[in-house]
Amino acid sequence: MTRTALLLAATLGALAMAGPWIAPYAPQAQHRDFMHAPPMPPRVIDEGGLRAPFARPVVLADRLDQRYEVDEGRALPLPWGAPAGSDPVFLLGSDRLGRDVLSRVLHGARASLGLALVSTLGALLVGALLGAWAGYRGGWPDEVLMRVSEFVLVLPLVYVVLALRAVLPLVLPGTTVFLVMAGIFTLVAWPWAARGVRGIVAAERERDYVAAARAAGASPARVIWRHLLPACAGYLAVQATLLLPGFILAEATLSFIGLGFPDSLPSWGTMLAEAANVSSLARFPWTLAPAVAIFLVVLATNIAIERHGHTPLPIDRGTR
Amino acid sequence: MTIGHYLLRRLAFALLLVLLVSSAAFLLTRLAPGDFTIEQGLTITAEERARLAADLGLDRPLAVQYGAWLGRAVRLDFGPSFLYSRPVADLLGERAANTAVLALAALIVATVLGVPAGVLSGRRAGATRRVVRGVSLLLLSVPPLVSSLVLVWIAARTGWLPLGGMTSLASDGSWSGWVADLARHLPLPVLALALPVAATLERLQSQALAEASREPFVAAAVARGLSWDRAVAAHAWPASLRAVLSVYGLIIGALFSGSFIVEVVTAWPGLGRLMYDALRARDLYLVAGCAATGAAFLAVGTLVSDLLLRWADPRLGGGGVSR
Amino acid sequence: MNRQSRALLFILIVAGVLGIGYYLRTAVAPPAAPLALDEGPAAPAVRGGTLVASLRAEPRSFNRLTSRDYATEIVAMLTQGRLVRVNRATEEVEPWLAESWTVSPDGLTYTLTLREGVRWSDGAPFTSDDVVFTLAAVDDPRNASVLATSMRIDGAPLAVTAPDPRTVVVTFPTPFGPGIRLLDNLTIAPRHLLGDAAAAGTLAEAWTASTPPGEMAGLGPFMLVRYEPGQRLVFDRNPRYWRTDGRGEALPYLDRLVLDIVPDQNAELLRLESGQIDMVQQHLRPEDLSAARTLATAGRLRLLELGVGLDPDAFFFNLRPAKWASDPRAAWMPRAEFRHAISHAVDREAFANTVFLGAAVPVHGPITPGNKTWFSPNVPRYGYDQARARALLEGLGLTLNAATGFAEDAAGTRARFSVLTYSGNTQLMRGAEVLREDLRAIGVEMDIVPLEPNALIQRMLSGDFDAIYFNYFATDTDPAMSKDFWLSSGSAHVWHIGQATPATDWERTIDDLMTRQAASLDHEERVRLFNDVQRIFAEQLPVIYFAAPRLFIGVSSRVTHYTAGPIRPQLLWSPDSLAVAPAATP
Repeated sequence: MTRTALLLAATLGALAMAGPWIAPYAPQAQHRDFMHAPPMPPRVIDEGGLRAPFARPVVLADRLDQRYEVDEGRALPLPWGAPAGSDPVFLLGSDRLGRDVLSRVLHGARASLGLALVSTLGALLVGALLGAWAGYRGGWPDEVLMRVSEFVLVLPLVYVVLALRAVLPLVLPGTTVFLVMAGIFTLVAWPWAARGVRGIVAAERERDYVAAARAAGASPARVIWRHLLPACAGYLAVQATLLLPGFILAEATLSFIGLGFPDSLPSWGTMLAEAANVSSLARFPWTLAPAVAIFLVVLATNIAIERHGHTPLPIDRGTR
Repeated sequence: MTIGHYLLRRLAFALLLVLLVSSAAFLLTRLAPGDFTIEQGLTITAEERARLAADLGLDRPLAVQYGAWLGRAVRLDFGPSFLYSRPVADLLGERAANTAVLALAALIVATVLGVPAGVLSGRRAGATRRVVRGVSLLLLSVPPLVSSLVLVWIAARTGWLPLGGMTSLASDGSWSGWVADLARHLPLPVLALALPVAATLERLQSQALAEASREPFVAAAVARGLSWDRAVAAHAWPASLRAVLSVYGLIIGALFSGSFIVEVVTAWPGLGRLMYDALRARDLYLVAGCAATGAAFLAVGTLVSDLLLRWADPRLGGGGVSR
Repeated sequence: MNRQSRALLFILIVAGVLGIGYYLRTAVAPPAAPLALDEGPAAPAVRGGTLVASLRAEPRSFNRLTSRDYATEIVAMLTQGRLVRVNRATEEVEPWLAESWTVSPDGLTYTLTLREGVRWSDGAPFTSDDVVFTLAAVDDPRNASVLATSMRIDGAPLAVTAPDPRTVVVTFPTPFGPGIRLLDNLTIAPRHLLGDAAAAGTLAEAWTASTPPGEMAGLGPFMLVRYEPGQRLVFDRNPRYWRTDGRGEALPYLDRLVLDIVPDQNAELLRLESGQIDMVQQHLRPEDLSAARTLATAGRLRLLELGVGLDPDAFFFNLRPAKWASDPRAAWMPRAEFRHAISHAVDREAFANTVFLGAAVPVHGPITPGNKTWFSPNVPRYGYDQARARALLEGLGLTLNAATGFAEDAAGTRARFSVLTYSGNTQLMRGAEVLREDLRAIGVEMDIVPLEPNALIQRMLSGDFDAIYFNYFATDTDPAMSKDFWLSSGSAHVWHIGQATPATDWERTIDDLMTRQAASLDHEERVRLFNDVQRIFAEQLPVIYFAAPRLFIGVSSRVTHYTAGPIRPQLLWSPDSLAVAPAATP
């Protein structure tokens, strides 16, 4: 299982990094006669014989219904290396403007995953350090930190973003958006890490091994770093798997308020926000492909984190 | 420190929180582009716009305006809503209870679903763990808007539940009839709101339980002859609650601020919708009032969770009590 | 659990999910059929019954004189009356509370005779006094009435007198083409209930959404009986309503009308589909037409075609001289030729197919073919012609940089601009994305900046933008009622709002033509003058239009005797004649 998870994680990471190069189409390329075209799965068997992978073309049958019929008589080469001008092949279907979903998922991976990873690490780092300090020190720093975390949590993000949007230039390059969003996400999410870490640290502090380390003259920083934070590793790992998908989706909320990636740069969050209407869900479920991608990413992260560096449970060692 | 002192201090902090949050909302809304006169669109001229701004007091300097609002707010007068020409307090009163009902029900459902599921998946490895984890992660991977829409869609196709609203028109007016009617309308928005939270709780509980199960005292209990399941239930689970309870307060806060999408999709007459409309229209005093209510909810939520935490693990308490 | 059983479990779960999905999908099988226009049945209306309609937003008040939001407007349509009514289906002015009128030879003075025996829903008699009171209250600046501007002609108020309880004399300060049509906007308010508040200048605080329904009264077919905030408004028949149908039966037919507040458009469609509501308050989105057509084929819904939409989405550049004073693009971007190039770049047929799924017609100006009286087909058009677009750009000194694929001027400034649009509006976002690709093809780069509405309007008013792509709604088909758009001094003259004096010669010409058009009492002359306006507008192209949707609205098949019009509310504009078929007796 662990090996499978690591393999999955590695594959997803590689796909995300290489996305722009392996995507069959440009992410904004609109194929206006193929809006919401269904997925065209690759096939290898034609008239009983085996041949190079190909796909059956689809033909628009009704524009208003966005209904297509599969043309069983023709075969199209897969989009990689296909001659220019040949009909498009949408392996995962196309979206409301006839853009290739697969290409958009691949192109969006770097921005969406990168943003979520950076924000998650930022929130965990800030939260863990503050939470550990508060839990270890107790007293007023603890009190202040807890109250500040409540303030951060209850202050809706929207206000901050609206005010921030007004002072930023109208057209924002992707990197600026990335940094601003990562900053905002870190700012609003650190309490989730901090409160749990504080609880764990405050409890661990009283235990014998910490007392021993302190008696041996270890500085508070060293005690926190060497003894207390490792005890929080499991908690932080779970928080990572909770924050990661949350950030990918929250990106769409910020886009809605006007602080999104330039729309030439697709992202999973905005793709899902576009798919969120009843007609799409019922008739074009493939537009939810980014949700599957998020699921795979979170699953891989979860399994990898869960198994990494932990001894198995006593019960799991036994024979069942 | 006695529990009385503790509660008193928390109350003082809660009031401070409400004040800070509503002030921040007020100031940030003023800093955001546009104001309430913009809400009138292109139908009025520049002079009419200026007159409207003067009528509403929007032409005064920010500090003066804020000072005047603060002076009234501490006397619990939150001012008028520009949008509805009514006192903000009345509007909040109409909606706050509805959101509280929804959030409380969702909290209960999320806890009842999430914590046992977490215990189930954290107790031991195996197929159950994989299935429960898979479901949780799936729920976390889908935007709340999509999952709410899917639930409403299922309700529409099956006809099992009303598609939205809080009460139906046909309600006979009796108290029991009203409760029965409410109970029919609750499941849809509650599920939409509770499922992602249940997934969060499941993940936290599962990890915390797995971690606590590795503690020597669990192995010691097994060595004393307790079965694994009983040892986990008696020793590991109470220890694992700490991590869950420490973010419980945040979950309560998130339920209140996160209910907006669910309220829109299921037409629940709550605070989230009111706040969204207020923010869109830059209805300054209403925005501040909604933020104050949200802060009050969160303060209560964290207090409850800290009290639970004290009860579960007396060493901790809330806010460094046990020094 | 071993590998095999794990795989089996996985397959079972997937099969289960797919099975449920398939069941839900096939519950309504989708056969294709043409978009059908269904006429209401001719059988006499059945009296009684309840109709449930939806409303997307909360009413902000119950006082139409001080609130202009759509929900308040609908409440007023149900509960209040006006002197004359514009029939939304025929666009004709009809006698309403005024049963007849005469016009003085100079066209300035209208003498209206009110209907006899009309009473407010609380029993008080309706007299000319109420009309005089309403106009005075609207005109009092302390009341900040939202109707004040529309009840003035070039800034001067109408003069109203009441020689006797059944006669009202309205005098226009200057000749006004639409004439008495103006009074369709004026919701008559009861002096006996609102007189004190209006005199004190506190009209806005009277009749708020928290006022008990019993304290209000109206002249409309329904009375509000209950308001559940965030949920619904309940209206019952006004037993004192004055109107009867052709057979002498008292209107309205319905006993009760309920407005359910449903903020989300998806949920609204699902409610219509499942029969929980009978009608909606705006046309269907193109993406929902397919589902609605399926339901219509199954006989559960009537799909009504309302004709071509009157308000196409508008794309315009900032034409304020101040904006371009120190902008390196000033030499070419504010020029008419640049706008012509943009217009030539857009394939309007493809635009209609992509943005509206084919349910739209290409348009070249603000007046669409849906406006039958005022649409002029004889205006210059700058249709799809990429070569012409490139040539125009070259004429402006913009040459294609082969390395970047974008056009540049001699100084190396790229032909690039940002366009603001409403975030969350799928139709605008889709349109903007199509535009961006079409402009890229002629070497012009466009950055889409989605903003929430308040922020966008704020930038429009302050002139802080390159271009905007947005939509707005006119309330009347007569152009003289939209002078705030056409006149250079107007508050909705979007490309350069509120000019003290016209900035350009062509705007001065349009000002002159529109002023004459609005003041003329000769319909033929008004049409001729407005055709000239449309021609100059098309030549200068301050606002570019691409397509106007064909509008459809869905109504439950149990609703009878509706009359649909293209302007919203498409069905509730005539609430007294709506009826529902009686439920089949079990």
